[in-house]
Amino acid sequence: MSDARSPSRPMPDGTGGVDAPHHEVLSDAERRRRFAEEALPFVDRLYSAALRYTRDPSDAEDLVQETMVKAYRSFHQYRPGTNLRAWLYRVLHTTYISMYRKAQRRPQESLQEQIDDFSFYDEVARTGGSAEREVLESLTADEVKQAMADLPETFRMAVYLADVEGFAYKEIAEIMDTPVGTVMSRLHRGRKALQKALAGYARSRGLISGDLDSSDGAEADT
Amino acid sequence: MNAAADEPGCGNDCQEALTRLEAYLDGELPNTDVEDLREHLTACYPCTDRASFEDQLRSIVRRDCIEEAPSGLIARIEATLSDG
Repeated sequence: MSDARSPSRPMPDGTGGVDAPHHEVLSDAERRRRFAEEALPFVDRLYSAALRYTRDPSDAEDLVQETMVKAYRSFHQYRPGTNLRAWLYRVLHTTYISMYRKAQRRPQESLQEQIDDFSFYDEVARTGGSAEREVLESLTADEVKQAMADLPETFRMAVYLADVEGFAYKEIAEIMDTPVGTVMSRLHRGRKALQKALAGYARSRGLISGDLDSSDGAEADT
Repeated sequence: MNAAADEPGCGNDCQEALTRLEAYLDGELPNTDVEDLREHLTACYPCTDRASFEDQLRSIVRRDCIEEAPSGLIARIEATLSDG
């Protein structure tokens, strides 16, 4: 009982089908219409990313605006059916670097060596309890944003693109123009550093006890 | 007499599972390894607990880092397109 005339599928003679590729050159009006329809809906999320990138609302607005101008200008390079979302983030990323990083000329920040061993979960578990959910739920949005903002830039971007936007390693590698292995290591270390900062907030509230850096040798087990 | 083996806590299995946990939660673990890891998680409460903690933490980060663009931003961008 299947309907061979399903509108989404091409006819046997090859005509029709809503997904049929089309290669015609777009008129200005058509390009504008398609860009507005397909790309503009991403502006909200791009703004979210821009705010994590720049850490400043007004810079974030400028960044998104410049990103969309650039994306529109090169919209003809974007091939229908490929990943428009990842492409827009790639444009955002390169625009950010040309607008801001060039101006700053500061050395790449890095993370402290011993961060790899840190585990928020272990810290909570060590304190002894069933209070894991409670600790997580006690974190405020401002604390999470601050912890994110305090991450060194490249780590912050990787963590944002993975944890908030849900991009795959390969997509992040393309967005950041860096090898997949580098993405994985930035993600790993960035998340550890984020956890350490968040654990600090939980500790300041008395939800975790002990010193933050006592993991070496200070076995609480008796 | 085999209680330790029946009740894994921090054995080699756990060590191996933990090295794969991050990729697993990212949906990046190869299918062949996913089954092994799931099997371990089903059998091992501490690792399941850790996995769910890590997962919940990601949800919190996602929830708190998404913001709406200021009103008018889309309109301003649309206006620049018409100029082009």
